[in-house]
Amino acid sequence: MTAPTGPTADLAALMARVALKDRAAFEQVYRLTSAHLLGLATRILGSTARAEEVLHEAYLNVWHAAGSYHAGIATPMTWLINVVRNKSIDALRSGASERASTVPLPEEGAEALAGAAEPELEPQRLFDRSVSQLKIDACMGQLSAQQRQALALAYYHGLMHSEIATRLGAPLGTAKAWVRRGLARLKDCLTAAGLEEAL
Amino acid sequence: MRRFSAELLDRLAQEYALGTLHGGARRRFETLMRESAEVARAAAAWQQRLTRLAGSVPPIEPSSALWAGLQDQLFGAPAPSRKKRAWPWAAWGLPSLGGALAGAVLCVLVLQSQPQWLGRETVAADTLPASYVGLLADAAGTPSLLASATRQGRLLHVKLLQPLQVPAGQVARLYALPGDGRAPFAVGVVPASGKAALPLPDSAEHLFARVPRLGVRLEPAAPASPLPAPAAGNFAISGPCVKMW
Repeated sequence: MTAPTGPTADLAALMARVALKDRAAFEQVYRLTSAHLLGLATRILGSTARAEEVLHEAYLNVWHAAGSYHAGIATPMTWLINVVRNKSIDALRSGASERASTVPLPEEGAEALAGAAEPELEPQRLFDRSVSQLKIDACMGQLSAQQRQALALAYYHGLMHSEIATRLGAPLGTAKAWVRRGLARLKDCLTAAGLEEAL
Repeated sequence: MRRFSAELLDRLAQEYALGTLHGGARRRFETLMRESAEVARAAAAWQQRLTRLAGSVPPIEPSSALWAGLQDQLFGAPAPSRKKRAWPWAAWGLPSLGGALAGAVLCVLVLQSQPQWLGRETVAADTLPASYVGLLADAAGTPSLLASATRQGRLLHVKLLQPLQVPAGQVARLYALPGDGRAPFAVGVVPASGKAALPLPDSAEHLFARVPRLGVRLEPAAPASPLPAPAAGNFAISGPCVKMW
């Protein structure tokens, strides 16, 4: 792996300072990353308010556990995204039974769904935009629409296989196969595009 | 530690990174990640790949309360927006608000019976969170629409207290009416009856801090050209917007 440069290197340096309990560095990490992380968490949780709760926990984790970040394994943004996605997914699943036993407002979560109402913010569109930006759209285009959709629902909405199967009206085994095939293709396409290493 | 075949490890790592590994399996895999550098590397490789998909997600600027809350919890710095829970009636400037008091009392009753309207904030039994509340009435003075948003929230909850008469082909659009000379700005379309939650482009604090009134205008659903900003008297219903703290 080549030495990172630019924003990644800056963020890595800041993370190293956060591990030493540098408050100014912590604030810089927050300012550089929070909007992007809130966007991701909001897509998963369907609510900016819930997503902010997750981010609150995540940044506490960053402050207390920045020392556990290893620059040699992942970029700082990958590490942060992983922290936030994991917490979002945990919150999503722990809240599932609560939501099932309550009667929500019809528009509850509409702050995030407002984005979903716009075609470019739907999971499939987000996915397509990403692969286009990565210039692997032709390669990923060899997947079926359902395979791409299954992967997009899992990544952007944090859905489990059973939920994807329900959403797409497919048997569970088929949904699992779609996701697995989508991931394998993503790996192949990133490798072919020379994007496997340097992030 | 249990040994996996390379193929199984890769499959578990990809499912963990994607989030489709769930329940106990997820927790067990995290334990393995802490115990084994090989497992940690496998997971990190998939996390790196999937991070590539994150670039297309539109960022959302957090409310100022998020940073204030972090500072407060980590460093003990003051975070006024979270600490100020008392209800300083005197600070409302009641004489200048006219009918706001009656509306606010009604708001309290409704909000106490509909605590979910206050979002996910923890609310003590005898206090309400800092919120913006509007009560809109028709020309006869009959309360018609209740609107509320927590101070740092990005959702405006509305409840129709009586149905709006919205002609076919028209919508009822809610406007904020600033008191500082700025033009009214649209907040969103409200339903003719029932409840709705309107997404706000910014925190309620940012949008409504200098907005003393709200109004609903009936407009063509799909106007051929942009509509002029509404003037006073254009509104089917209107009323005060007050700070609940």
